[in-house]
Amino acid sequence: MSDRTKVLGAALSRRGFVKTGGVLLAGFALPKVEGQQKPGLVDALNPGRPESWIEIHADNTILIRTGRSDFGQGTIFTAYRQIVAEELSARFEAIATVVSGDTDRTPDGGGTFDLLSHGMPNVRKAGAYVYQALLSLASDRLGVPKDQLTVEDGVVSGGGRSVSYGDLVKNQTLNLTIPVKGDISSMFGLTVEGDPPLKPVSQYTVVGKSFPNSVTVSKVTAKETWVTDVRLPGMLHARMVHPRTLGSKLISVGALDKNRFPNSQVVVKGNLVGVVAPTEWEAIKAAQQVASATTWSDWKGLPGDQRLFQFLKEDADWKKAPVATARTNRGDVPSAIAASSKKLSATYQLPFLKHAPIGPTMAVADVRSDGAVYVYTHTQNPQALRSGIALMLATPVDHVVVRTFAGAGHYGRSNGGNAGAEDEAVILSQALGKPVRVQWTRQDDLQWSTQSSAAISEVELGVDAKGALTAYKINHFMPAMQDDRLVGAILAGLPTIPAPNEIGSLFGIANSMHDPWVYEATPAVLESSFGTMQIGQSSSPLNVGLRDHSLRTPGQYQQNFPREVAITEAAVLAGVDPLQFRIQHAREKRVIGVLESVRQNSGWETRTHRPGAGEGVSRGQGVSVMFRSGTYWACVAQIAVNMTSGAIKVEKITVAVDPGIVINPAQLKRQVEGGAVMGVSIALLEELRFDESGVTSADWRSYPIATMADLPEIKVVLINRPEVGSYGQGSEAANALAAPAIAGALLDATGKVARRLPMKPDYVQSLLRA
Amino acid sequence: MTTVTVNGVRREIQAPTDTPLLYVLRNDLELTGPQFGCGLAQCGACSVLLNGKEVRSCIMTLGSAAGKEVTTLEGLPARWAKQKGLPDEEAAKTLHPVQEAWIEEQTPLCGFCQNGMMIKATELLERVSSPTVTEIKDAFTSGVSPHLCRCGSYTAIIQAVQRAGAAMAKRSQA
Repeated sequence: MSDRTKVLGAALSRRGFVKTGGVLLAGFALPKVEGQQKPGLVDALNPGRPESWIEIHADNTILIRTGRSDFGQGTIFTAYRQIVAEELSARFEAIATVVSGDTDRTPDGGGTFDLLSHGMPNVRKAGAYVYQALLSLASDRLGVPKDQLTVEDGVVSGGGRSVSYGDLVKNQTLNLTIPVKGDISSMFGLTVEGDPPLKPVSQYTVVGKSFPNSVTVSKVTAKETWVTDVRLPGMLHARMVHPRTLGSKLISVGALDKNRFPNSQVVVKGNLVGVVAPTEWEAIKAAQQVASATTWSDWKGLPGDQRLFQFLKEDADWKKAPVATARTNRGDVPSAIAASSKKLSATYQLPFLKHAPIGPTMAVADVRSDGAVYVYTHTQNPQALRSGIALMLATPVDHVVVRTFAGAGHYGRSNGGNAGAEDEAVILSQALGKPVRVQWTRQDDLQWSTQSSAAISEVELGVDAKGALTAYKINHFMPAMQDDRLVGAILAGLPTIPAPNEIGSLFGIANSMHDPWVYEATPAVLESSFGTMQIGQSSSPLNVGLRDHSLRTPGQYQQNFPREVAITEAAVLAGVDPLQFRIQHAREKRVIGVLESVRQNSGWETRTHRPGAGEGVSRGQGVSVMFRSGTYWACVAQIAVNMTSGAIKVEKITVAVDPGIVINPAQLKRQVEGGAVMGVSIALLEELRFDESGVTSADWRSYPIATMADLPEIKVVLINRPEVGSYGQGSEAANALAAPAIAGALLDATGKVARRLPMKPDYVQSLLRA
Repeated sequence: MTTVTVNGVRREIQAPTDTPLLYVLRNDLELTGPQFGCGLAQCGACSVLLNGKEVRSCIMTLGSAAGKEVTTLEGLPARWAKQKGLPDEEAAKTLHPVQEAWIEEQTPLCGFCQNGMMIKATELLERVSSPTVTEIKDAFTSGVSPHLCRCGSYTAIIQAVQRAGAAMAKRSQA
């Protein structure tokens, strides 16, 4: 090998020779770095500097790094290892180490969302580049052209000889520089460029097998270091005293009772109040004492949950944001509806939901005397959090390191960086010159975190005499979905990115078309989405209000529920079985495939609409469909309705999922089961309670979620389609499927339609009596 | 000074007696299996066994645990080894059948609640060797509050409890 070789757009170079060990380091390079960057204060990865991404070690072990962290999907410990092992033609077990999430130890940034990147996560291409580099090395070593080499389990053979990957790198330091684009500290991070040849799917041996998640053992045996376990020398425990309302300003801080709490301190910055102590119990008690004596201004700027949908319909301004329309819109909807023999006009309503992690958010921060800032947390987007902390402190981003640890899943809340407590920990640590651990209470977590946006949708549709959908029109209305501002910075009056607005923010207040249309046989379709400001934010003197954030299947859940319930209603109008009605209006064979699968696997009874039963318990079946991130889904719910109390018992959920290539069947099945339970929870139980001043949900009684008593039988059917050649997303969508299927089952069981969630007994009872 | 037997070892603890046991375990004894979930005995993330009964360590004061036996997630293997009279060298490499079943069934998603789930499963299986699905659901939803999993791993938990129960019954016969 010459000292520098081009490998399909990547550059392979030999840095030198070493006596023992040896390594091939696969790093990245930006196409062009402007100016000379100063070395960072902390040992953070500099985007201009090649750095390790995949390491091939002389002992035949492999290390991979990803900027994304695990949130319970297990993807980076299973699917990512399988994908890299596959591209390298190495054994799964050879990938002995996965380094993830830490901003100073991983190369690419990005967030824990769309982890499979429509089939092309960075690790796949990085693996493919490394494979080509290894083939080049082997070709030189064995004196055989690359195209005559074969590889199995990390051993290259050709010309009657073999050499392992470990032997190829032994006693050398090799550096492969892979082309990338993007901004590492943005929400989306860097993306590997170029088109290295990928292993043909027909030759797969690792993808498709159910390898266990490598972190499960440490979590089950209490050996995992969770973020809750991080303890630094001299660290203080903190509890926050948050404002009394979402618009209250601080009038006076309660005096700390030094007799009872001699070791405690109060920190105040703007409207941010924190109480710290060397022991956690003293911090808790002292914070309660200070809170009881602290006074805040009053504020009433929210509609309250009882008036939420009226507010969205009558008071919210939907004209400021550009309207989004679907690319699949077609035909003349008004004329088609006018000509239809049967028509439906209906409004659907969805409440705010909480991410509601089982562990309230917490973080440890260490702002050091030299200006270096270390944040220890559980975040979906460490690099975005890093840039947010740097902005807040007006310090260069290379002064900030974010380290990630295992924690309670929070389903999208931190995909733009911030979960809640990190910035508050940083502010307190900076003020005190010591490491500080901020632990939110359950109440903090429900009342001061973001929520999944409420939404309303208005549908008009028509059905002809033959039972076909002639026209479908839907207008979706949803407040801004993604507020990534650091709430502690807002309270302290420190800089943040802009709140969602018409112009300056990353996501803005515009709504998008999130739910792709799947009923292609419909001649006339008009789908539009409207956005508005977050409720109460601009009138709040704190600029807080009801902040929103994406939650598992974001936006699409809010649009799929009204669509799928409306399609079931259309089937009833048409006098056609709702599952068959969907098949009749679909053209994509994968949509039809998941529908046929749930029909076959659920015990679905094909029938036209059955009028509601009278007394006792009435049973029904319902179906829903979704296309999301390269994956097709269908769901059947079978329920029993107590006709007196209105209580719904979901007896069985059947989900069919076609993601193209199934990477890890056992892990995907567990993900879908879990999503289905969250779906039942959303359908039957979840609704944020709030009054004119703030969130009143404060614990698990005032924000109930599904328990094991609510658990239906769950059947998951995985449809593996290697011929698709791509990996669709598997861990989202399942949580959004249940609600429209359950509403369909309610309609089947009772003849009554639930057009809002949750379907609590008193609401169902009111429908039954109407 | 309060004396509590934790995972078979007598511990003298300095913390004030009104301190919830959870903070004593996590911060003083560095036993981090139990997690803070709500501080209200509403979720079960903090569960431990107190004299063999599942309790919520977030509301139980240190004082009320005085003189009693606490078992945390860390202590499950030794608890099983003692119950089965395993020799020391075998005990050192043995997990509790509940933990083994949780691994074999790949039960955790994020895993934050699973401490309490495994503690509850241990309590149940020490009482009922082969529980039905109804008995399992009843155990995990009765008492001071249901055990909550936000990721929705309930199906996997039930399958793991049944697997662990079968393994424990088999080893009791052997």
